[in-house]
Amino acid sequence: MPRRSSLKVGISGIRGIVGETLTPQLVTTFSEAFGTFVGPGSVIVGRDTRLSGEMMKNAVFAGLLAVGCKPIDVGISPVPSILIKTNRTDAVGAIAITASHNPVQWNALKFVGGNGLFLNRYEAQELLDTYHQSEFALVETDAHKAVARDDDPVREHFAAVLSYLDVETIRKRNFKVVFDSCNGAGSTFTPRFLEMLGCEVVGINNVPDGLFPRNPEPKPENITQLCETVKAEQADIGFAQDADADRLAIVDEQGRAIGEELTVSLAVKHVLSRKRGPVVVNLSTTAIVDRIAEEFDCPVIRTRIGEVNVAEAMIAHRAVIGGEGNGGVMVPAIHPCRDSFVGMGIVLQSLAENGNTVSELVAELPRCFMVKETVDCSTEVAHSAMTSLRKKHMRDAQVDTRDGLKITYPDGSWIHIRPSNTEAVMRLAAESPSAEKARDLTRRFTEEISSLC
Amino acid sequence: MNDRDLRQLRISPAGVRGIVGQTLTPELITDFACAFGTYVECGLVVVGRDTRTSGEMVKASVLAGLLSTGCPVVDLGICPTPIIQFMVRELSASGAIAISAGHNDARWNALGFINSSGAHLNPYQGEEVLDIYHSGEFVKRPWDSLGKVERKEGYLRTYLDRLCSFLDADAIRAAGFKVIVDACNGAAAGIVDCFCDSLGCQLIPINNEPNGRFPHDPEPRPRNASAIASIIKPVKADIGFLLSSDAGRVSIVTDIGETVSEEYTFPLVLEHFLNRKKGPIISNFSTTKTVDDIARRYGCPVIESQVGQSHSLHAMTMEDAVIAGEGSGTVAVPEFQPAFDAFLAMALILEMMAVRQKKISELLNELPRYHIVKEKIYCPPEKVHSVIAEVRKEYLRERPDLTDGVRVDWQDCWIHVRASTTEPLIRVIAESKDEQTARERADQAISIISRVI
Repeated sequence: MPRRSSLKVGISGIRGIVGETLTPQLVTTFSEAFGTFVGPGSVIVGRDTRLSGEMMKNAVFAGLLAVGCKPIDVGISPVPSILIKTNRTDAVGAIAITASHNPVQWNALKFVGGNGLFLNRYEAQELLDTYHQSEFALVETDAHKAVARDDDPVREHFAAVLSYLDVETIRKRNFKVVFDSCNGAGSTFTPRFLEMLGCEVVGINNVPDGLFPRNPEPKPENITQLCETVKAEQADIGFAQDADADRLAIVDEQGRAIGEELTVSLAVKHVLSRKRGPVVVNLSTTAIVDRIAEEFDCPVIRTRIGEVNVAEAMIAHRAVIGGEGNGGVMVPAIHPCRDSFVGMGIVLQSLAENGNTVSELVAELPRCFMVKETVDCSTEVAHSAMTSLRKKHMRDAQVDTRDGLKITYPDGSWIHIRPSNTEAVMRLAAESPSAEKARDLTRRFTEEISSLC
Repeated sequence: MNDRDLRQLRISPAGVRGIVGQTLTPELITDFACAFGTYVECGLVVVGRDTRTSGEMVKASVLAGLLSTGCPVVDLGICPTPIIQFMVRELSASGAIAISAGHNDARWNALGFINSSGAHLNPYQGEEVLDIYHSGEFVKRPWDSLGKVERKEGYLRTYLDRLCSFLDADAIRAAGFKVIVDACNGAAAGIVDCFCDSLGCQLIPINNEPNGRFPHDPEPRPRNASAIASIIKPVKADIGFLLSSDAGRVSIVTDIGETVSEEYTFPLVLEHFLNRKKGPIISNFSTTKTVDDIARRYGCPVIESQVGQSHSLHAMTMEDAVIAGEGSGTVAVPEFQPAFDAFLAMALILEMMAVRQKKISELLNELPRYHIVKEKIYCPPEKVHSVIAEVRKEYLRERPDLTDGVRVDWQDCWIHVRASTTEPLIRVIAESKDEQTARERADQAISIISRVI
C-alpha cells in the first residue's frame, strides 16, 4: 500500500518521521511562528517519552527563545496535564511534543492556545500563514529569556480531577488495578494517581523510556498483555493508555478488552446519571452514546473529527460530558480535553457507587457492533469517489458531509467513510445493533469503493 | 545609511558570527550544527557557552542540530572557551562548539568550531564544514539513533589542576599576590575565584556575575579597563586583568594604574616563556615589533601568520612552534593546549612576577615598547575588496607584503591595513617608536580608505 508523504502539516499541528521529514529546522521554524502568533510570554513545553523528544524539545526552545517567549519546560508530561496547566496559569500557550498514538518513529508538535485548547481551524490557519510568510518577531539579545523548569507537570491537573471525583467512595473499595502506559507519558504519573484513589496498583510497560513495547493505540488487539495480566493478578480492572496519556481503554475483571468505544460510553452514562446535560461527541463515536443520552433525555451534538472541534462544541453547548470513541473522555467541568485520568476516575467511581464489576457495568450498556476496515484508494480519486458515494446514497439515508461521509440509516445503523491522511486508503467504520448488519454494510461499501478507485 | 545598521553575518571556516534577532537565526545555527555534526560523523561533541542572554537560544539550536545528526553531546553549560577546548581532549571528543562572540558587543553571538585536538578548525577542516553547510546534505538519524545530552559539572577542578601542574604554582602561591580581575560578567565570572584560589592569590573581583550583562564592551582594551585602573592603587593590588567574554583574551593593568595596551600581553608572556623553552614563535602581521625584539634576544625565529585564531593555531601546529599569540591579547602554548587561553596567560604572567620578584610595572618597563595606533573604519562588506585594492595600489612603491591585507614596513614605522574577519570593518594598525609618526602613517591610510568608501 503506497504511503503518503511522511510530513503532515495541518490544523492539528505538524507531524512527521524523525530522520526523514521532521527536521530540527522545521520544528524550530514552526516554534518561531507559534511564538510570533501567541506573542512574548510563557509557553509551556512538554513531551511524551519518545527518544526523539529531546532533540525536538531543544528545537522548540530555540524557536520560542528567538522570538522572546519564555519556555516553561515541564519535561515528560501527559497531554491533558499540559492543557490544564496552560489553562490555569498565565501561560500564553503551549507546545506538546507528541505523536500520540502514532508509531515510535513519528513525532509531532501540537499547538495550544492560552485557553488550554488546541488551536482551532481559524487559529491554526493563522499560524500556518505566519509560518509560510516567515515573518517572525525575532528579538535582540536584551529581550531574550531563559528556559524555566516546572518539575510537577500534573499539579493543576490532578488537583482538578481529584476535586471532581468522590475520592472517599473510591478509596473504600481498595480496587486492584493493572495499568499499561506503553512506556509513555503516563508511566510514572498513572500509579501516583491511582494510589491517591486508594488502589492497589500493578504496572506493566511503565518505564518511561519511549521504547514502545506495543502499538501505542489502545485497541483490543494491542493490549493483550494487559488482558493476561489482569487475569493473572485477579485485578478488578485494567487500564491502557496511549503514549501521551489522553486516550484510555478498559479491560474487565475477566481479562477482556471491552473495546475503546465503551470507555466514553461508560463515562457518559455515569456523568448523566448524576447531572443531566448535553453530550458532545464526534461523528465517528459509537451510537451507544445516543441511546444512553436518550434514556436520560439529553441531547447529543456531533462534531467533525478533531479534539478541538469537540472541545469548542462542548463549551458552546454547555455540555456535561462527551469525547471521542477512540477512548477520549472529556469532562468540561475539569477541562474540555481528552483525559485518560478523568476516564479512570469516573469508571472507578461508577464501580464503587454501584458495587458491581466492570463486566456487569458493560452488560447494562445498550449493545452495538462496530466494524472497521480500510480500502485502497489513491489520493487522486479520493474526492471523486466520495462525491459519487454521496450522490448515490443521499436519497435513502441521512448523509453528513462535515467530515468525509457519514451515512445513517433509519434503524440507527451507520457507516462513516474518510480518506486517511497517512496512507493512500479509505477508512471505513460501520456500526449497527446487529453484528451481521454492521459486517454487511462494511462489505457492501468496500466493494463499492473498490469499484470507484 | 549608517553602516552599523547593515545586516551583519560573518561566516568563516573557524565559525559563524552574527547579530541575534537579525542574522544569527536559530535555523542558521541549527543548519551549521547539523553541518558540524555531519562533519564529525556522529562523534561526541562538547558544547559550552558564554553568559550572553541569547546563549540559551543558541545552545538549544546547536543541541537540536547535533542530536539530529546522531552526535552525543556533553553540555558544559556556561564555560570559558579555553576550558571547552581543554575538555575536548579530556573527554576524547570529536570536537566542540563554543558559543561565544568573544570580544564582540552583547548584540552578537557566535559558534566557534573546535576540532578533536581542541584547536579551532584549521582552514581545510573549516572549508569542509562550510561545504557541507552549503550542500545542505546533513546526516539525519532515525528516532532510535539520535544523540543524547549529558550535562557535566565539576570539570573546572580538572582543568585548574592541570594548569597548576604546568606552572611553578608554589612560587606563585608563596608570593601571595593580590589580583583584580574584571570578568565583564562573562564566562569567566565566578570561575576566576577558583583560579585565584588555586594559585594562592587574593582576588578582588569586578563584574563577576555570570549574567551576560556586559558593563562595557567585552574587549580587553585600555578604554574598557578604567574600573580596574581606578581602584588598583587604593586597594594596593599587584596586577589587574581584564578578560573577554569567552576568556580567550586578556589585557593588563599595572600596580601603578597604567592601563596597558592588549598588545603587550603576548610580549610579556613571551619574554617569560622563552626562558623555559625556545623555538619558533607564531605572531601575525598586526602584532607589535616588541615580539620581534624579544625573539631576537632569545634567538628564536618569528613566523607571521594571517590574522585570526584559526590561522594562528594552524601555523603553530605546522611550524612546530613553542608559543603563539596575537596583538589582541591572546596567547597559546601548544605544550599546554592548542588554544588561546587567558587563564594560562594570566598564570604565566603571575609566575613571571613571582619568579623574577618584580612588580608588573617594572617588568613592562624592561620591554622594548612602541607606540601603536589602532583604528577601525566601518566598511560595507561589498566595498571591502575595492578598499583593500586601492590601499595596495597606493603603497605599491613601498613594496608591501600582501599576504593578509596590506603590510608596509619602513625603517621607523610599520602599518597594516586589513579587513576584519569578524565584523564589517577595515582595521588600520600603525606602530613606531615615535607616537606622532605612527599617528601620521595611520591617518594617511585612513584618508585613502575614506576616499574609496
